[in-house]
Formats: sequence, C-alpha cells, structure tokens
Amino acid sequence: MLKLCNINAGYGKLGVLWNVSLEVNEGKFVALLGPNGVGKTTALRTISGIVTPSQGEIWFMGKKISGLPVQQITRLGISYVTDDGCLFSGMTVMENLLMGAYTIKDKQKVKNSLEKVFELFPRLAERKKQFAGSMSGGERKMLAIARGLMLEPKLMLVDEPSLGLAPKLVLDVFKTLKELTTIGVTVLLVEQNVNTTLKIVDSGYVLEQGSIVEEGSSQELRENDHIKKTYMGIA
Amino acid sequence: MDSTVISDLLVGGILRGGMYVLMAMGLSLVFGVMRIPNFAHGEFYMLGAYFSYFACTLGGFPPAIAIVLAGIGGFVCGALMEKVTFYPLRKRSRGDWIMNSFLVTAGLSFILQNLAQALVGTDFKGVPQYWGGSINFAGLSVSTDRIVGFLIAMASVAIFWLFLKKTRTGNAIRAVSEHETGAMLMGIELNKIHTLTFALSSMLAAIAGAALLSIIPAYPTMGLQPLYKSWFVVILVGLGNIQATIIGGFLVGVIEAVSSFSLGAMWQDVVSLSIIILVLLVKPTGLFGKKMKV
Repeated sequence: MLKLCNINAGYGKLGVLWNVSLEVNEGKFVALLGPNGVGKTTALRTISGIVTPSQGEIWFMGKKISGLPVQQITRLGISYVTDDGCLFSGMTVMENLLMGAYTIKDKQKVKNSLEKVFELFPRLAERKKQFAGSMSGGERKMLAIARGLMLEPKLMLVDEPSLGLAPKLVLDVFKTLKELTTIGVTVLLVEQNVNTTLKIVDSGYVLEQGSIVEEGSSQELRENDHIKKTYMGIA
Repeated sequence: MDSTVISDLLVGGILRGGMYVLMAMGLSLVFGVMRIPNFAHGEFYMLGAYFSYFACTLGGFPPAIAIVLAGIGGFVCGALMEKVTFYPLRKRSRGDWIMNSFLVTAGLSFILQNLAQALVGTDFKGVPQYWGGSINFAGLSVSTDRIVGFLIAMASVAIFWLFLKKTRTGNAIRAVSEHETGAMLMGIELNKIHTLTFALSSMLAAIAGAALLSIIPAYPTMGLQPLYKSWFVVILVGLGNIQATIIGGFLVGVIEAVSSFSLGAMWQDVVSLSIIILVLLVKPTGLFGKKMKV
C-alpha cells in the first residue's frame, strides 16, 4: 500500500533520513520505532509531503506521491496525526472534526463519519461545544486522532500518541488504533515506547541515526537481541 | 456634562466606531491568516470611495448599488493584488516573512496612491449626499447618510462574521489562522484561502470607503487616516483577534469622540495613542491578545 524506496530527506542542508526503505501493507498495524531524534517524525513528515525527499521515491496505492503538495496527498487518503495534534485550539471540538472532513463534500458521508468517531470516542461527543484549546492532553490526543479519521483515510500516520499520556491512557489509545485496523484503516505508528508498542502492532521497523536497522514482525522484533538489549533492558 | 452631551458623544463615537470595526476586521483577518501587516489597507478604502464615486456620477447608479459595486471592485482588486505580489513572494520568501510582506504592502500603498493621483488627480471627488436628510435619534438629529453608513458597516460585519463561523470556507479561513500546518493536513488549499482572505479584507475596506463617500470625499491619500485608526484598534485589542476588533473599534470611536469634545479634535489621536501605550505597557499582547509566536 505504502512504499518508501531509498528515501533521503532532511531540512535544508541538514540530512536526517538516509536510504530509508519501508513498506506498509493494507490493513496492517505497522510501527516505526526508535529513540529520540533519529528521524521518525521526519519520516512521517516526508510521507505526508511536509518535507520533500531529496532522493528516493514514495509510492501510495500504485501512485508516486513524493513531490506532491501536502493537500493532494491528504486528498489521496493519507491522514497524518502529528505529535502535537496540530489542533485548531480556538475552534470547538465539532468544528475541528468538521475541518477534518474538509475534503469530503457529501454531507451524509460526513454525518456517518461523525457518528462513527463519536462511537469510538464517546468523550468527544460530550464535549462537542468545548474549545479544543481548553481540553486535557488525553482529550486532545483523542481529538487529533478523531479528526484524522474524519477524512476517511486509507492510511493513517500517527506520531507518538503516547507522548505525555498516563500509561493507562496510552493503552487505550493503542487499542483504539488497533480497532481501526480491523475496520479497514491501515496504521503506521511512530513510537518510542518500544515495549508496549511491540505487544500490539503486527510488524515494525527500527530506525537509528536516520537509517532502518531492524525490521520484522513484532514477534521477531521482540525476540531480537539488539532490541532486547537496547530498548527493553533485557540482556 | 448633561445627558444630551453624553448621548451625543456616545452616538457620535459609535457611528465612528462602526466604520473602524469594518476596517479593522479586514486588517486583523489578513494578519491572522496570512501574517501580513497590511499597510496598504487604507488604499482599498480609497479605491472603494473612488469606485462608488464613479458608479454614482458616471454610471448614474443609486447609492446602494454603487456601494455594492465598490465592494465587488475591492474584492477583485484585492484578489489581483494578492496573486501578483504576495503569492510569488510566499513561494520565494523563507525567513522574515512579516518584514518582507510589510515592505510589499508599503510599496503597494505608495503605488496605489500615486496611481490614483496620476489617473484622477488630487482634487476631492465627492457626492453631496447619498440619501440626504436627517433622522431624529435619542433627541439628536443625525444625518441619514451617517446612520445608513453605520447600518451598512454593521450588516457587513455581521454577514462576514456569519460567513466565518457558519460556512465551510469560512471555517477553513479560521483553521488556517489557527494552525497553518494543521490546515494543510486537512487538505485545505492554502493558496486559495490566502487569495480569498485578502480579497475579502479589501472588500470590507472598499465598502467602508464607499459608504462614507458623502461625508468624506475621495482623494488619493484619504486611506491614511482610516489605516492608522484600524491599526490603533488592532493593536489595542491584540493582533489577529477578529472578535475583539468589534469591541476595539467601538472603544476607539468613543474614546475619540470624548477626547475631541473635552480637549479638542487635534488631541483625539494623542489620547487614543496614549491609552494604547498604557495598555501595551501593562499587557503587551493587547487587551484580548493571546501570546504569539512570531
């Protein structure tokens, strides 16, 4: 579904990603793991078009998307939930959600997505009229994910949903993402929280210093010595 | 002060303030959405006045139509101006956007003023009256043109407000001003929103200029006063806060009316500027401003 081929990307003269290749298959829950500052977020920014790769190609559902502007990539069905949420804090929850469905003209479809999203996050239904800026960290995460769902994405890029959340909430968020894959949304999740993530995803890639160093199913990764040693503290 | 003086001042201030609101709203919107400190805003006010003048005199249209035509003219000019100047600038400019775009607006203002001077001359072009007559209001006699001008301003502000709040495009404009990257990720076409925003802002200014034509005739540099006034308002309440400009516009209007009554007309700018300085000393972001990353 999504394929990155030998991507180099960065900001100006600063290179961040080196020869990154990865593949996400339809209906799967894939994680991109790694410590701080290795380029995980840059990878998502490159896929979503905010950063243009200096080398390599990105393919999505048989179409080359590298070099396309952000808006067009969004319209193809890739929804990017950033780590800070990129919420419209001066707008209400409802307005944020409706903005998520900006590209969908069919009102009935928007209504259906709203119902679906409220079912998934009943909390948001209670707070329709509240300003996004006045919500708690966890609620903001929910809203960001919910808003990302409103455009009926085929692929969802989710950046560190666990950041700043209580451990129990992290699990809730992960479970919600897992649920999404069962209703046909493919998810590429970026996480630092390797232990928890590997329990729930189908497969993963490990990024270190801007390059992919390990890849495999979550089972394989959990049993990988390098990962055990570096990320789980098991010698 | 007896009560007639007070109501006189209040009515005068509010009538004035209505126009400030109309002007300042566009200014604030353009800053909020596009981060452009628009110093050519007054020139669209000037264009509106000229459009209305020519529509009335050459075209022979009734005042209401002339004002609508001026609004449309302002919209079209604004859209053109954005496409010709800021659109290419945005593609090339990386840092220092606010400074660069400010310089462009200053240049635009200069060009438009001199164009007006070259094409229609420096003399006043006005109409003696739109509707004429006066209306008795709260014991005061106020000219109909002022009242109607005020009503036009309020109607435009209200319609514009509803547009921002209730329509899909209006919400997209607000979304861009809230979070540009977020808006992009929602699939909003930034270029279209930018052009539309600038055009709408110019339209509001043109309507203001046109609605006041019978009170203030058109001349090339007529835009400076309303430009300064709308900057007073916007700085007083906080840049980019569109809601607050409504309060701010009336506030500045009333402050001016009161100070010109009690100290003389030449003091009105001194008083309103001093108040703004005081407010900024206590609250640097303006009365209702949020902290901003520049």
